[in-house]
Amino acid sequence: MLVLTRKVDESITIGTNITVTVLEIRGNQVRLGIDAPRETSVHRTEIYKAIVEENIKAAKTATDLDGLPKELGALKK
Amino acid sequence: MQNTSTTERNREGSTGGIITIQTTRFGKISIHKRRIINFPEGILGFPDEKRFVILEHKPGSPFCWLQSVTSPDLAFVMMSPILIKSDYIDTLPASERRLLKGEQAKNFAVFAFVTIPKGRVQDMTVNLLGPIVIDAEKKIGRQLVLANSTYQTRHPVFVETD
Repeated sequence: MLVLTRKVDESITIGTNITVTVLEIRGNQVRLGIDAPRETSVHRTEIYKAIVEENIKAAKTATDLDGLPKELGALKK
Repeated sequence: MQNTSTTERNREGSTGGIITIQTTRFGKISIHKRRIINFPEGILGFPDEKRFVILEHKPGSPFCWLQSVTSPDLAFVMMSPILIKSDYIDTLPASERRLLKGEQAKNFAVFAFVTIPKGRVQDMTVNLLGPIVIDAEKKIGRQLVLANSTYQTRHPVFVETD
């Protein structure tokens, strides 16, 4: 992993068109500003990972829908 | 045609816009090419899966399937998150809300993936944090990752009230 030290208002450039700027440091929190092309998705890593994991689980468990209620109201709700 | 080494992958037969795709769950199905939805970014965790088709579960069912066109065994169960949270669209980020509530709203549909614990259908959960938004006109789909949201990836579909 590349490790760089930056101060507030300083930034790093990734590739040719992604810039990450340190906006604010308060206690143990850092606010970052990210400039990236529209087609580049930017996510908080833990949320991204949670969705990846859940997608994999959803794909694995999508085996049998028999026994599913035809209407949602058919089960206790 | 893409070259692929995976034996699992479908070779699509095509006649008059109708293609036949192989599926593990539904057998061989014939669909019109126009029904294929492109996911340019893939599905999170499945970056190479870029083409899907929506299949009805049963008439009148709140559930449907998002079946991969290229991998016979890959399918997701989906439902409308609006059935779980009636104000779901209002809680989306402004940019997505505009799509889903604006003038073009009739072209857009939003779904959420369902996870079903084995043998415990009643414990199924729905992923409200990573909804699937589909532009039905352009046939383009995308999985959103909601930021600053209180939604969970495992929101229970059924809530006990007794």
